[in-house]
Amino acid sequence: MREIPYEQLGLTLYHEQLANGLQVYLLPRPGYRQVYATFTAHYGSVDSAFARDGGPVRTVPDGIAHFLEHKMFESPAGDVFNQFAAHGASANAFTSFDQTTYLFSCTEDVAENIRILLDFVQEPYFTDENVEKEKGIIAQEIRMYEDHPEARSFYGLLKALYHAHPVRTEIAGTVESIGQITKDLLYECYSTFYHPSNMVFFAVGGLDPHALMDLIRDNQAKKSFGPPPRITRVLPDEPADAAAARQETRLAVSQPRCLIGWKEVRVGLAGLDLLRQELLTGMVLDALFGRSADLYHELLDEGVIDPSFTWEYELAPSYGYSLVGGNVSRPEAFIARATAAVARARQEGIPKDVFERSRRKHIGRFLSGLDALGYVARHFTAYHLRQADLFATLDVLLSLRWEDANERLREHFAEERQAVSLVLPRD
Amino acid sequence: MPGFVTHRRGRFHLHVLATSQFRTRYLDVKLARPLARHHVTATALLPYLWLEGTASLPNMRALMRRADDLYGAMVRTGAGKKGDRQVIEAYASVPEERALRGADGLFDAAAALLTEVITAPAIAGDGFVPEHVEKEKVLHRKRIESIRDDKIQYAMERCLESVCSGHPHGLPRLGYLEDLAHLSGSTLWQEHRALLASADVHVYAIGAFADEGRMAEALLGRLLSAFSPFAAEVRAHAAPPVTALSPRGSEVRHVVEHQPVQQGKLNLGFRTGVSYASPDYPALLVANAVLGGSPTSKLFVNVREKASLAYYASSRLDGLSGVLMVQTGIDAGKYDQALAIICAQVEALKAGEVSEQELAFAKRGLRNQFLQLGDQPLSLADIHFSGALAGVHREVDDLLQALEAVTRADVTRVAQSLALDTIYFLRSEEVGVHAGDPV
Repeated sequence: MREIPYEQLGLTLYHEQLANGLQVYLLPRPGYRQVYATFTAHYGSVDSAFARDGGPVRTVPDGIAHFLEHKMFESPAGDVFNQFAAHGASANAFTSFDQTTYLFSCTEDVAENIRILLDFVQEPYFTDENVEKEKGIIAQEIRMYEDHPEARSFYGLLKALYHAHPVRTEIAGTVESIGQITKDLLYECYSTFYHPSNMVFFAVGGLDPHALMDLIRDNQAKKSFGPPPRITRVLPDEPADAAAARQETRLAVSQPRCLIGWKEVRVGLAGLDLLRQELLTGMVLDALFGRSADLYHELLDEGVIDPSFTWEYELAPSYGYSLVGGNVSRPEAFIARATAAVARARQEGIPKDVFERSRRKHIGRFLSGLDALGYVARHFTAYHLRQADLFATLDVLLSLRWEDANERLREHFAEERQAVSLVLPRD
Repeated sequence: MPGFVTHRRGRFHLHVLATSQFRTRYLDVKLARPLARHHVTATALLPYLWLEGTASLPNMRALMRRADDLYGAMVRTGAGKKGDRQVIEAYASVPEERALRGADGLFDAAAALLTEVITAPAIAGDGFVPEHVEKEKVLHRKRIESIRDDKIQYAMERCLESVCSGHPHGLPRLGYLEDLAHLSGSTLWQEHRALLASADVHVYAIGAFADEGRMAEALLGRLLSAFSPFAAEVRAHAAPPVTALSPRGSEVRHVVEHQPVQQGKLNLGFRTGVSYASPDYPALLVANAVLGGSPTSKLFVNVREKASLAYYASSRLDGLSGVLMVQTGIDAGKYDQALAIICAQVEALKAGEVSEQELAFAKRGLRNQFLQLGDQPLSLADIHFSGALAGVHREVDDLLQALEAVTRADVTRVAQSLALDTIYFLRSEEVGVHAGDPV
């Protein structure tokens, strides 16, 4: 086991890669009552076409990674939630574009709960009957999001930005696509993506890293997994420009919702380069659209936007996007003003004092974020799958240069990669 | 579990939790006054208006920039309710200085900023700045209207409105659209003065403090002096403790609303009459957990796992009003089936059909939730504040002990108090409307 000290943060991370390939990271946080543990497969909704060990390319139904996540909670012995409940843990899971994470938080019986987590994720149990039953439940999950303005505007934007990349498809799929899922397809995806060498375990909180590492090592040594499959993730060719300038949906809402997005041109990054670009672009977005920006207050004063206004930037190896927006009473005015502000900023750059203020804010927010163990676990894992280190954030923030921010601004915000997504009231 | 140390001066309460556990220091100011129809909207607007500017930071932009300069201090305000009290809140948090160079005094600066936000907002003449008022009236209208856009929240609020009808508990926390037109800078200023002069003030300070005694003294001094221009009304008596709504013997209310939605929302509201301060409260917590508090609960297992009718099926208890709410999202055509299953589960709970395992899971789950509070500073403050309003001093450790002692007989007994008050259903007009289709 290796110790990785982060002196400025006052943290020590413990790491070991086990014989079966599993990466294990443990972060003690003295004083915390809870332990928050996650077990993650590098497998998400975008992995819908793949080849294994040089074999033919397989294309599976949209939403299958998320469906698999639901079905893992059944075991031959019954419902996994009961096992956690017997030890006072609160368990859950989520599927994103590129990861599937199983998690619990607990304050007692940490060892038992970690064993349950490792064992249920490593013991698939699918039957024709339990697969069919799940379709009704997930159909209602999909219906719930169909009424959801945030989800509709978000996916509308990705559909406009991307021509072919599967990031344009809803993580849960559609009622029709999940109808095609079978027990055999689930086993196929499971055996491809849930090998320990394609997974990472991360736990944080009031824990003893030595005892837990022993426990995890012993647990894994008792199981056999066979050789790791060689996974080829197959993605369609994706042009650099946006697929459509605009996407509109109508819903039973009181007011319009509008997002403007820009497709990332500089993808294919990993590690420190990815982290640097993510943080630098975030600072640019904050300078242009954040709570301290001129544009935010002009639009707010004029009644065009409300405090739901926000920005976001996401960067993965094969896709990336920025978005800005929220509830917008006059979408056309917002689009015109935001586009003009971006064009002006590309000409004039961001003032140095604005950049420095944004740096301080990002530093403070990162440090405060360390108190939320769920946030730490989620971000540590997401960065790890992209070969980056969450705890390098402070150093990177301190090293970013104003000149680079202005260069990033000019590179990222191009008109041909811009799209708009609107959710409009039905009446 | 460590508890708050309280310093009190009249209606001012400063609750300090000194701990080195967190990288953030928190300051949370809560002002409580009775909910009343005539001032609910004006009072709800005030905390948002405070962020429009202060005596030294004349507009929101200046205020936000000041907060960003303090290493991204979070400065938030909001309006809520607890039982029959309207709660106005202002909150600030700043990172701890240990990882930052040249960032001394952040907490003091944040405390000064927050105090100014509450007690020295920007004014012009005899009231708030007219431009600020007009802007916030527009935003408040949107704030109220947008509750409709989140159907889960909307269904819950509408159901609660019916369950609490005829009682201040049922007043909407943000107030009424029709009141907005009558609000002006001067009427709002009067309401502001009334709030600051009469509210019970609870301040929570949590984090690492070098000298907590001196910090507490300085903070209390700062608050008392900032509030002093708002001369306290002479109150004949202190506000009475918040108590639960009693069940009414009338028939169940049925509320059905139509909107073009993909998923129907079915909510059942129960009055229990069990107050937060009641010795039965821990048993009611367990009963709620057995019914719908987790993935092992009766509702989750029977509505979702066995019948595949829903993605979410749960129940939640509002401790101060004693209202228990069942909520689920279903296909509108499955209304009868879902309602029958939910009612059967409530009846099973009342009939004592609770296995040893269900009881143990519910109690362990609650124990875990309350132990985790120690890691969640704002939740800890919120629980403490609920106790203050209900007039019961109950440390988390006391609650843990009480939960441990709850028996199946206790759960069955307290389950008898569940009186179904309202069945609320939000559904589409007709089958076959695809609200999410692209235009």
